[in-house]
Amino acid sequence: MSAPAITPVFVRLKLSLLRNGLRRSGAQRVAYIASAVIALLFAVLQMVGLIALRGQAHIDALVVLLTAVLGLGWAVMPLFFPSGDETLDPTRLVMLPLRPRPLVRALLAASLVGIGPLFTVCLLAGSAIAVARGGAAYAVGVVAVVLALLVCVAFARAVAAANVRLLSSRKGRDLAVLSGLVIAIGAQVVNFGAQRLGSSGLGELDPVADVVGWLPPASAIGAVHSVSEGSYGVAAAQLALSGAALVVLIAVWSRHLTRLMTSPDGSTLPAAGSAARERTSSGLGRLLPAGRTGTVMERSLRYVWRDPKTKAAWVTSLAIGLIVPVFNAWQGTGSVYFACFAAGMLGIQMYNQFGQDTSAFWIVAMTISSTRDAYVELRARAYALLLITLPYATLVTVVTTAMLGDWRRLPEALGLSFALLGAMLATGAWTSARFPYSIPQEGYKNVAPGQTGLAWISIFGGMIAAAVLCAPVIALTIWLNVSAGGDDWTWLLLPVGAAYAAGLTAAGLRLAAPQTARRLPEILGAVSKG
Amino acid sequence: MGSSAVRVQGLWKRFGQQVAVAGIDLELPAGKFIGLVGPNGAGKTTTLSMVTGLLRPDHGTVEVVGHDVWRDPVEVKARIGVLPEGLRLFERLSGRELLAYTGRLRGLPGAEVDKRATQLLDVLDLAGDQHKLVVDYSTGMRKKIGLASALLHNPEVLFLDEPFEGVDPVSAQTIRGVLERYTASGATVVFSSHVMELVESLCDWVAVMAAGRIRATGTLAEVRGEAPSLQRAFLELVGAQSRDAGSDLDWLGGGSR
Repeated sequence: MSAPAITPVFVRLKLSLLRNGLRRSGAQRVAYIASAVIALLFAVLQMVGLIALRGQAHIDALVVLLTAVLGLGWAVMPLFFPSGDETLDPTRLVMLPLRPRPLVRALLAASLVGIGPLFTVCLLAGSAIAVARGGAAYAVGVVAVVLALLVCVAFARAVAAANVRLLSSRKGRDLAVLSGLVIAIGAQVVNFGAQRLGSSGLGELDPVADVVGWLPPASAIGAVHSVSEGSYGVAAAQLALSGAALVVLIAVWSRHLTRLMTSPDGSTLPAAGSAARERTSSGLGRLLPAGRTGTVMERSLRYVWRDPKTKAAWVTSLAIGLIVPVFNAWQGTGSVYFACFAAGMLGIQMYNQFGQDTSAFWIVAMTISSTRDAYVELRARAYALLLITLPYATLVTVVTTAMLGDWRRLPEALGLSFALLGAMLATGAWTSARFPYSIPQEGYKNVAPGQTGLAWISIFGGMIAAAVLCAPVIALTIWLNVSAGGDDWTWLLLPVGAAYAAGLTAAGLRLAAPQTARRLPEILGAVSKG
Repeated sequence: MGSSAVRVQGLWKRFGQQVAVAGIDLELPAGKFIGLVGPNGAGKTTTLSMVTGLLRPDHGTVEVVGHDVWRDPVEVKARIGVLPEGLRLFERLSGRELLAYTGRLRGLPGAEVDKRATQLLDVLDLAGDQHKLVVDYSTGMRKKIGLASALLHNPEVLFLDEPFEGVDPVSAQTIRGVLERYTASGATVVFSSHVMELVESLCDWVAVMAAGRIRATGTLAEVRGEAPSLQRAFLELVGAQSRDAGSDLDWLGGGSR
């Protein structure tokens, strides 16, 4: 029996996978279509924008950098979103009798199908048109776009194949969960860069682009510009570089692919050097109170460090809670009151407590048989949170105050921070019991499909309620600041805020406890969808 | 027969259009090794979830050792141990930490928890991996650590959902040994399975479930009746005819391709 060509089979497989994206429940289908439409719309707008910028100064530098960023995006994509493309995982094909060469060809062809490649083609075509002048340049442009796209796709495939062992291990999946942080930090860097460009002009890009223009796949687009300038030799060299890169990437990919297809699956073998460390009871464990309170606190604190999802959420909260007040104070636009941001961001961690447990919540549910149990459980979780949050919020407030030199306002800023924290703990405990939702453990999503509405009610409803609950302290602050002689009494806001916070938290826990005890099966059902 | 460990009356559960459990009545005797058998999708997991208080039934009552599961959770939860199927553990804890956590949540004194944990880890052959995170455990090790946390507070009734599913023969033998020792002391084990040979060799009392209903209950001999094995009796009970596969697959086997 002669082997039929497998390239069409793989292309059809990819098309089926894309089409199957539509065969899901209502909300998911809408999200799928919406994201595809938005991506394409964005791509077309970018292309039109690039073409409109044709002939502008520094456009050559811009498109070269854009292509480089695009290439980088393709390279890191498989590391952060390993499940993004199911055909990316060659280990799924391991049982099939396939030869490496036709397989590489087929997989490469299949990777060209999809929203991502279409998006990339739009951007690359826009870039080529933006810098092309004259027939020769357009001809080179066609070659450059195809070459750059192939380099991007082969890059992604090579990275995925080379790291499949890491990606299929637990550590790799943990890493993928932290990708949100990289993106958040990347966004800050881009933001900072854009601000600098805005103040000093696109000319800043030129020296960078001179270097990047020699790196594939950006060198392909660089070649289009070189032809337009009449430097045919440079253009040929740049195109050759991209071509060579493509050959090397495919060779690397092919080699890893062959090894993956012929060697046993490594995901079940223990990774070298991962001998279990002795996890002795930490000093902290002995300092915590006995009984349920200490037990729950210890587990919560361990999860902050050990569970990638929880860790990512905490690091984000800690970072943003520090960055917003301190950066604003640094730029001279800040106010002491911005320090409340730290308390607010960290207070969010009290929300959806049981969702953070995932379906392991059954262990908790099996041991809660009264309102009292539920109260102690929730209170212990709030204690664990306070153990980190209270010193941190205080520190951020003091640092912000010190940077602004506004020491007179320190007591009221602290009082407001504590009041906000108390309100967040209270509303967080209540919404945890009333509106729990699942947090998927894999990938970057924080809400299971179909529960987005629930998450919005929980977080935003809770935050608005927290703000309303804080209103008395805010009103008192304003009143003391505007009334004659009130300044002498602003120190009162610290004890008042702290006491108010303690009262709110206690009340919130008291209200949440019976809800929790009564709704255990419902909560378990809601948090087990991840 | 003595008192009953579990008494279920008129238990119903519907998920949307699908009726998972269609009004079952069941009385499980105390002090026995009880098998709840049935094909996949028969409603075994749903039933066990409702009996253990992890899922709220649409109708019906459940009593465990004489106490209503939904009205008297204090009495029930202290007396039962559960190993559910398809639910996670706190996997970012090590095996030992998980036991320490579960035992203390159950209200046992810390020193006692640590003593029992050491013994359970030893007997279940997990001592070497006790400091590894549960997330890195194999299926068999997970089932064993789950069993250890279910036994830690010495429950009167133990509910195990598919405790041998995906477990290697060595771990299975270990689990078996622990369970046999436990029932010999007068405790009750209720476990679900679709592997008849296993049920036949372990249980002295069986309840057969199919399509959300109880088809038969009784001692092994009663349920088996005239049939040569529980497997055959089961197939007859659930009405699965053995299809004649003679002519359809005539190309299968032999030398030619």
